[in-house]
Amino acid sequence: MSDEQQQSQSPEDQSNTVKPAAPAKPAAPAKPAAAAKPKKEAPPPDPRALEAKKTADLVKQDIVEKFGDSVVLDTEAALFTPMLRIDAKAWLKVIDYVRTHQNWMLNYLVLMAGTDYPDYIEVEVRIQSTHLGHMIGFKTRTDGRDNATLPSLVSIHPGVNWEEREIYDLLGVTFTGHPDLRRIMMWEGFQGHPLRKDYNPWD
Amino acid sequence: MALEDEGNNLRAEEMLLNVGPQHPSTHGVFRLVVKLDGEMIVESEPVIGYLHRGTEKLAEDLQYTQIIPYTDRLDYIGAMLNNYALCHTIETALDLEIPERAEYIRVIVMELNRIGSHLLAVGSYLLDLGAMSPFLYVFQERERIVQMLNQISGARLTYNYIRVGGVRLDAPPGWLDEVREFVPFMKEKVKMYDNLITGNEIFLARTKGIGVYDTETALAHSLSGINLRCTGFQWDLRRKRPYSVYDRLDFEIPVGKNGDCFDRYYLHLLEMEQSLRIIEQAVEQIPESGPVMGKVPKMIRVPKGEYYTGIEGTKGELGFYIVGDGKDKPYRMKIRRPSFVNLQLLPKLLKGENIANLIAILGAIDIVLGEVDA
Amino acid sequence: MFWYWDTHPLQWSSALAMIIGGVVVLFLSLGVVAYAIYGQRKFLGWIQGRIGPNRLGPFGLFQTIADIVKLLIKEDIVPDQADRLIFLLAPIIAYAPAFMVLAVIPFSAHHVFTANLGIGLLYYVALTAITIHGVMLGAWASNNKYALIGGMRSAAQMISYEIPLGMSLVGVILMAGSLNLNTIVSAQQHGWWFIVPQFLGFCIFVVASTAELNRTPFDLPEAESELVAGYHVEYSGFRMAFFMLTEYTYLFAMSGLVATLFLGGWSGPFLPGWLWFAIKVTAYILFQFWVQGTLPRMRQDQVMSFSWKVLLPLAMLNLVLTAVIKGFFM
Repeated sequence: MSDEQQQSQSPEDQSNTVKPAAPAKPAAPAKPAAAAKPKKEAPPPDPRALEAKKTADLVKQDIVEKFGDSVVLDTEAALFTPMLRIDAKAWLKVIDYVRTHQNWMLNYLVLMAGTDYPDYIEVEVRIQSTHLGHMIGFKTRTDGRDNATLPSLVSIHPGVNWEEREIYDLLGVTFTGHPDLRRIMMWEGFQGHPLRKDYNPWD
Repeated sequence: MALEDEGNNLRAEEMLLNVGPQHPSTHGVFRLVVKLDGEMIVESEPVIGYLHRGTEKLAEDLQYTQIIPYTDRLDYIGAMLNNYALCHTIETALDLEIPERAEYIRVIVMELNRIGSHLLAVGSYLLDLGAMSPFLYVFQERERIVQMLNQISGARLTYNYIRVGGVRLDAPPGWLDEVREFVPFMKEKVKMYDNLITGNEIFLARTKGIGVYDTETALAHSLSGINLRCTGFQWDLRRKRPYSVYDRLDFEIPVGKNGDCFDRYYLHLLEMEQSLRIIEQAVEQIPESGPVMGKVPKMIRVPKGEYYTGIEGTKGELGFYIVGDGKDKPYRMKIRRPSFVNLQLLPKLLKGENIANLIAILGAIDIVLGEVDA
Repeated sequence: MFWYWDTHPLQWSSALAMIIGGVVVLFLSLGVVAYAIYGQRKFLGWIQGRIGPNRLGPFGLFQTIADIVKLLIKEDIVPDQADRLIFLLAPIIAYAPAFMVLAVIPFSAHHVFTANLGIGLLYYVALTAITIHGVMLGAWASNNKYALIGGMRSAAQMISYEIPLGMSLVGVILMAGSLNLNTIVSAQQHGWWFIVPQFLGFCIFVVASTAELNRTPFDLPEAESELVAGYHVEYSGFRMAFFMLTEYTYLFAMSGLVATLFLGGWSGPFLPGWLWFAIKVTAYILFQFWVQGTLPRMRQDQVMSFSWKVLLPLAMLNLVLTAVIKGFFM
């Protein structure tokens, strides 16, 4: 099959190929026209990633103004999406703040995902603004894996009700303030959290 | 019947009704526990998980190309779109270039699959409402679509065709001509369904003004796809976050007016028309020949980081979230499933409704259990 | 011709002849039911673009017989907490009236098995009301709350539609001047079939009879099996066959009534009377199947309001118009 065929003769010749479109852009400048394709040595950082980091820093600034410095622990760009790491205790407040903040207006929650790491469980949320057109991600970590708890976002984004139940069921994160936290995929009375890395089905 | 208590007063207690896992409508294995007060639904609770197969957990043990057949089984009626969603995320993560012919073939098969899925949604919705004939008519058109997809991919339902970097095989000779002939045939059929169903008084009485919600509620509940557009809100990921070659194709996004069940049904028909437009243009624009697989490393390793892309699936926003760690298997793969998210609104929609409207509302949300449960 | 008691007092031979006549009509109606079921499956199949049954026998003609034999050899299950006597009686109470009304419907010009009842039409309407009792008793005796709800709904629907049904017939009675079905047929032989002057009555009758028969678009009590359950959920095997038999015999009786009242009964040129009757009955039955394959189901509250708020006023309007026109212009 043709998986070895070279498509373009040079990185700049874009006539025959189609680049996969980048995910949502931050509110600021337009998409760069033809980003240079990194070939062999350490590639220069992609301008889109730099834009995303800048936007993340802007968001951090707005949040830190309101809530103080300890709330935002990190900013990065997860492949062109601005990503902020929020302290678990301020999770609900921060997400509520950016929902109505005039610069960001993040009102449409697209994804909520939990990941199991050796020391903590990380929950990531990606929120889209239908008015301004950008998508920003927020993540938070629980304090350890036993008795992992996080505030629930159901009061501000009702659409995460079942997502949080799924994370509770499969990963074992308890969401405080959730109106109806029960197992959703597994049956009631099931022991264990299947999506954890150390889950043993033979117990 | 113990309807009277000790004081010989009529006891009007709430009845618990179980719309059991075996459901006559074709939605799948889905249970709805409904609390009734006479004819009115007081509370309802969907119970899912009967079809949970642990796709996300399995993916942690499989190489990226090996996950693609599993994605077929999510929304099994629109399997091409599931394949594409996964491949799109991996390609974005690796920043791969896809050959043009591959992109156009992808668009054509995805839109054909979308038409097939909408046909089935319309047919099964009418079967739920009691008209049994359109259900059989849609299968005749679906048969043509499924045979075309069979010719190009080798399977009728679970294609495993769209791969990272392109598609598996090029279209056989004459396939594009068949697609070209299919478009006017299907346009006539969409008109036929419109004539047959849309004006029917009984159908209108059962679906107009039922299950209404507004844009605010829809956005707050993260609805997507037809469930969001029926409220009048223009949100289609093919326009808002363009992917593949959709930015070169000219099509409209139909929106509804009232946010009721009738709008959701009617949008299925309108979207079929738009998909036919897309296919027509794609068949004109596709390069005559060319490779169908781009330059892909032999072993796909997604570098460290989190990646998410969403595409416009048949039921809404279908997205794959991959946490890579440089190995050939994902550290975590989460699937953002539109039917799962859309179904959350069901208890709110059913509160206070007549029980006879339950089937109409459930059918209009249009879920596929493979997607709800993953 | 007709049997008059004053000229033919009852003897053993005449009683035997009557019993044999009843058995013949029973087998005739069973045959019609069996092939109506077969016809429904074939006809619906053709509407839906598929072939109906075609495996058993030439063109699948033995399909219904196979189904009936299957139902007969099934285990007879009576629920433990059910009211046993009423549970067993309910199908019989439902079926017997549907069969008894066949006595008054004139099948042919020679009236071999037809009673010349002076109040034939009243007899018909009165008996069909008893079928509803069978439905309600079956629902109650099943000791199943879903069957009860389904049965109550079905009974409510059937009772509600009895009234427009009866009222639409009064126009025909006014035109023929008698309740005797044979007189009504002969009244149609001299002028137009009553479908022409009584067109409004005919339309009301068609809609009301579809609701009486619990057929689409009024079949929510039956298709309620999707959601709650129909009244015959606890019945299995032969008793279930009884309820099905009731439905199709009632369909046959209703078609016979339509043919008699509105389409001229057995009258028609060239062909023998019974053949014309068969053609008209078949046409009405096929029309019912056609509607079943085409329309969706109406919701229960819409069904009720339709009966009381639309059909009943129309039927009374028809009655008044007929009376006025007949009184002043004829």
